[in-house]
Amino acid sequence: MMDYVDLVFLTMGLLALSSVLFTFLTVRTKDLMYAVIYSSVQSVAYALIYFLLLAPDIVLVYVAVAVGIYPLVIILLIKKVGRYEVRV
Amino acid sequence: MRDIVFMSLLVVIILALTYLTYSGGLGDLPPQDIRVIARNYLNLTYNQEISWLWAASPEAVTAIVWDYRGLDTLFETVVFYGAILAALTLFRSISKIPEFVSSAGLSLIVKRVTAIVTLAILTVAASTALHGHLTPGGGFQGGAIASVAPLLLLVVFGKQFFIERKITYSKLLSLRNISLVLLGLNSVALVILGFLIGVGGFVFQNQAKAVSVLSYPSYLLDVPLGGSLFFFNLFEFLAVASGFTLVFTILLSRDDTLRKELEGEELGY
Amino acid sequence: MDIELIKFMFMLTVISLYFNVAISLYGVVAKANLVKKLIALTIFQDTVNMFTILVGYKLWRPGLILQPPVLTDLSPTSETIKEFVERSVDPLPQAFVLTAIVIGLAVTLFLTTIVLHVSYHFKTVNVDEISKSKRVYIHEEAV
Repeated sequence: MMDYVDLVFLTMGLLALSSVLFTFLTVRTKDLMYAVIYSSVQSVAYALIYFLLLAPDIVLVYVAVAVGIYPLVIILLIKKVGRYEVRV
Repeated sequence: MRDIVFMSLLVVIILALTYLTYSGGLGDLPPQDIRVIARNYLNLTYNQEISWLWAASPEAVTAIVWDYRGLDTLFETVVFYGAILAALTLFRSISKIPEFVSSAGLSLIVKRVTAIVTLAILTVAASTALHGHLTPGGGFQGGAIASVAPLLLLVVFGKQFFIERKITYSKLLSLRNISLVLLGLNSVALVILGFLIGVGGFVFQNQAKAVSVLSYPSYLLDVPLGGSLFFFNLFEFLAVASGFTLVFTILLSRDDTLRKELEGEELGY
Repeated sequence: MDIELIKFMFMLTVISLYFNVAISLYGVVAKANLVKKLIALTIFQDTVNMFTILVGYKLWRPGLILQPPVLTDLSPTSETIKEFVERSVDPLPQAFVLTAIVIGLAVTLFLTTIVLHVSYHFKTVNVDEISKSKRVYIHEEAV
């Protein structure tokens, strides 16, 4: 029967695999608003891995910075600069 | 064509690194035991028997950031200050112009709910920052949380809200500069005090050492106060919150106000 | 507690982070839009910080429960401190990563204001179009 220690590491492995999928989607898409959303989901996966690695100070900093401040600043930039990526 | 070459190069590098990691290149994964220096830091951080080397805070990460490795944090503060200063200098001439059209803000329901939530955000941020020596948290985490509240007020109520209550750009800039000066003074406070009395003192000194008897108080009535760590957390909280508020004030201006920064460039100035 | 499963899952995490580094590096170098480059650069910084904290972890053993580096007893005896040292995770990489996250944030804020200035001056944020217009400009000056 599975111990809770095995469950911790299993969750860590699955979260890392899902973050690879979301990083690939971020780099691939042409609509910059979708890129910001995918990047935020990948940051949530990273924050859960930091919690499983027993680093609570880093979780507080990382959630405030990568899910709060980065998407805000980049959405402001998209509004002023242009939403779609045009290939020349 | 160039993309395909670059992608295949990356795939080759990933396969090589995977093979090296699998055959033991990074040592055992996960490591068997932590390093000797980490054992020393964990042993000394709240140990009253070795009272000439302790840091008076049961939280090991805050003690390492502000006491045992304080010089790294000094340089990080300098880099952060320089980067915010550079970002504000690029839009310097529009910081004094008031907006000609004041916005009415969003609807009444949103305004009332925002007014209640802002108090909660500021309380949580202050608690996270000031308890940094007892629980996970600290100055920078509290400052990043506390910068969400002025941002919400700017979006929901409009920029006139701040100007009417006389919270101007210059006042926020002075708050940031004063709290950074007090942070610097806090790190050399015991050196100056030792100079005046005639005893020796160290830079970034927190508690009494073997060659110098000056120290910050380590208990407040019966709760551990981390010595100088409490004051470091408080000043860092104020500096970070006001720094982020300044950058958001500039970036949330109207588009034609921001373009006014670059007028006259066809003529060469 | 299955030691083989634990080691396999940890290795899987490290290899997924190698993939993340490769994909974000491709995004920084090969994409032509400046905002996409900025987003990929933030992903790259976050992955490198994750590597640093993976170094400070410790292997579970039967009978040993790990804990984060925070002492919960406010008046500890020397037995409590010895147990704390045996059980806790390494606090030094966490202090380094705290500094590194702050520096990465400061650089990103500065780059945002630079991208705004570039977009107002050249009327575009595509790197290929900027280099084409600069070539025309230099040619006009020379003639």
